[in-house]
Amino acid sequence: MQEYRDRPKQFLKPTDQEVKARTKRNVVLALGLLLFVILVFVTMVSRGKLPNAV
Amino acid sequence: MSSDAHMSSDVLSDEPVALAGAGLSLAGPRDFFQLMKPRVMSLVIFTAIIGLLVAPGSLPLYNSVMAILCIAVGAGASGALNMWYDADIDAQMTRTKKRPLPRGIMAPSTALTFGFFLSVVSVWMLGLATNYVAAGLLAFTIFFYVVIYTMWLKRRTPQNIVIGGAPGALPPMIGYAAVTGTVTVDSVILFLIIFIWTPPHFWALALYKLSDYGRVGIPMMPNVAGPKSTRNQIFGYSIVLAAVAAAPVFTGLGGSIYAFGALLLNIGFLALAFKVWRSRAGEKHEVQLESLYEVQKGDRDARNLFAFSILYLFAMFALIGIDYLLSGAF
Repeated sequence: MQEYRDRPKQFLKPTDQEVKARTKRNVVLALGLLLFVILVFVTMVSRGKLPNAV
Repeated sequence: MSSDAHMSSDVLSDEPVALAGAGLSLAGPRDFFQLMKPRVMSLVIFTAIIGLLVAPGSLPLYNSVMAILCIAVGAGASGALNMWYDADIDAQMTRTKKRPLPRGIMAPSTALTFGFFLSVVSVWMLGLATNYVAAGLLAFTIFFYVVIYTMWLKRRTPQNIVIGGAPGALPPMIGYAAVTGTVTVDSVILFLIIFIWTPPHFWALALYKLSDYGRVGIPMMPNVAGPKSTRNQIFGYSIVLAAVAAAPVFTGLGGSIYAFGALLLNIGFLALAFKVWRSRAGEKHEVQLESLYEVQKGDRDARNLFAFSILYLFAMFALIGIDYLLSGAF
């Protein structure tokens, strides 16, 4: 059975401005997540909460 | 491109709200930063640093920086959730209508997700970097600001900013707790200085921005109890503030430098509050249109107090910090 999401045939094409804004958001989001992972790791090391294996 | 954006491009280009709602957004990183109320964040960061600095004991530099970062991000998260909830009234007020949600470049759900995510992350990270008393206080701050102040009190009572001032006053207490893991008399004094300062600070602004708040139905003190009652209360709170400002001298939180500086600052604050008390600030409707000078004069007193109150708070906390650093050096 065909799902609803397969039915639409026409999609809106984002403008250049929208693509630029989306790219900027994606880059900042990626950098933010990377920073978050680093901070969690360093914080856990600083508190001695990582297992001895690390 | 997401499949939920089945709208004609004409509609999208003409209606920014529809555009944001359709999943297409022009919001950039700067808009997300604006969502975090950077000006409020600067005050939060500064007072939290002082709280962290004067607390007995020590915290490694990295953990101190993390504590300040988490407090700042938590404050920013509160700001984002506040903008999500208040988007309807923000759109009607001159001071707030250029925020990302009223401008229609961001969907409300985006602001909600952003604020909620940052709240969880900041509280968790603060607990990890310092202790769970500080993390609990940060969680309480976010809850109080978003639920108690924004959702409950702000649109219902003219005491909104009195009770709602508590979350703005908590950052130095969180900074203090990040080091000690407790709440002490000194950290309560730091809290009280900001808490008692908030009503005269905001009501001074409300006196000359009366029409804005009234138009959107926010019961600020001037448009409920009237300008005269507000001026009385501003002066009353200023006297209480001066008394609270003296407390650090007796507990040892502030030394002679603080005592001298705080004396001057409180004389200045009381003098400006007295001028507001004697003025006709907030009573523009009683002044004839030709009497522009009277209108400007009345408003100027309130505006002067509002401007000075910002300097006052920064200077008071700076004095506590300077006093602490110098007392340790000699």
